[in-house]
Amino acid sequence: MANTIIRKDATQLSDAEVAALRDAYGKMMGIRDNRGWLYWSGIHGYPQYKCWHHGREGFHQEVPYNLFLPWHRAYLLSFEHTVRDQNPDASLPWWDWTTQTGLPDVYVEDVADGNPLQAGPVPAMGNAPERMTERAPGPPSRLPRASRIAQILSLPNFEDLTLQIENVHDGVHGWVGGDMGVVASSAYDPIFFAHHAMIDRIWYLWQLRQGVTNIPPDYLDRTLEPFGLRVRDVLDVNNLGYTYATAAVTVGVGS
Amino acid sequence: MASGAHLIDSTNKYKQAKIYVSPQLDATTLQHEYARADVQFHNVDHSEASYQALVFLNNEKATAETPTDDANGYAGSFHVFGHGGCYGDEGHCEVPASRRPYDPRPSHPLRKALKIVIATDAIRRATEKGKTFTITVVPLVTAATSQCDIDDVFHCEYIRVVAYR
Repeated sequence: MANTIIRKDATQLSDAEVAALRDAYGKMMGIRDNRGWLYWSGIHGYPQYKCWHHGREGFHQEVPYNLFLPWHRAYLLSFEHTVRDQNPDASLPWWDWTTQTGLPDVYVEDVADGNPLQAGPVPAMGNAPERMTERAPGPPSRLPRASRIAQILSLPNFEDLTLQIENVHDGVHGWVGGDMGVVASSAYDPIFFAHHAMIDRIWYLWQLRQGVTNIPPDYLDRTLEPFGLRVRDVLDVNNLGYTYATAAVTVGVGS
Repeated sequence: MASGAHLIDSTNKYKQAKIYVSPQLDATTLQHEYARADVQFHNVDHSEASYQALVFLNNEKATAETPTDDANGYAGSFHVFGHGGCYGDEGHCEVPASRRPYDPRPSHPLRKALKIVIATDAIRRATEKGKTFTITVVPLVTAATSQCDIDDVFHCEYIRVVAYR
């Protein structure tokens, strides 16, 4: 569909796509209201802590359930639309850490007038004043291997998938280190959204193999706060207006 | 606030925290046919530092320097994405002991976590001979804040080894 957003590999973006993303992120970082970087990053960790990790109990549910994958899908979807409010040509790229080459160049390189993909603003926390995010990445060889993801994609059970992919996710947060390494400040770093697009993509790839609706039935009506969505609403990315691709070209046909 | 550069040295080695060595577990229970076996870590704390936990079987002397191979009983690892300490006001990170009926909110974000290492072959090797085996957990701290204890990071209620047909 023409309006479908294509999320691309961060290393395969065109110059125009990188420029659109930097433009949108840069504008969000300058906005102090609920369209801005501080607001949207603050949903995940400090100060709102709405993020979902690990199993938790819920309404009329004493057995823990884990909304890690659907919650972050809803978060990225809402965040991506907020990004496109600032620049309609921007979309969320995914960071394929299985290439074991480290952070994508576009997220680390110096740019003459500043690179909003390098760091994001962090609000005052505790006794620390407002500042920009920092990273302390480990050696690329310690990033997850493609063979590990292949093992995970073969798991037939959603809860098994969730536990194993969340574990890989945890390790990549620690690998980036610095602010990305802890829940409180991780979403203020722009690489957070590329990392989570990769996690969401792995769930998408798993769904292609194991079934889009392969999830325990009691998950379906669990709500994903504060996005106004239920789990059943986010199962199929085709209904969410985006897809994942390594590359794409479009030609207009005027007839 | 966040820190990390001091957690990895010039040879790309992460800071090793306090190592856990289990008591002897019964190996004979696992001496039968199974298709999959896991090491489960129940109620793992994730309120402070982030770390990778290397898991070794029958290797009570394992450290961060130990090669992660079959010969050394390496079973795999799990990662903890820590909250980085508490930045709320007093009581913010205290997990309530119980939930009220009809409370629509999910339980506290710091509810303890379950971690599972799928380690079928390693468990088979560790239990096929002998009556007992041990589990060693070597934590490597990857990220922390000034609020975190980086010397003692691995805390969990119990470990269970489970086999499935």
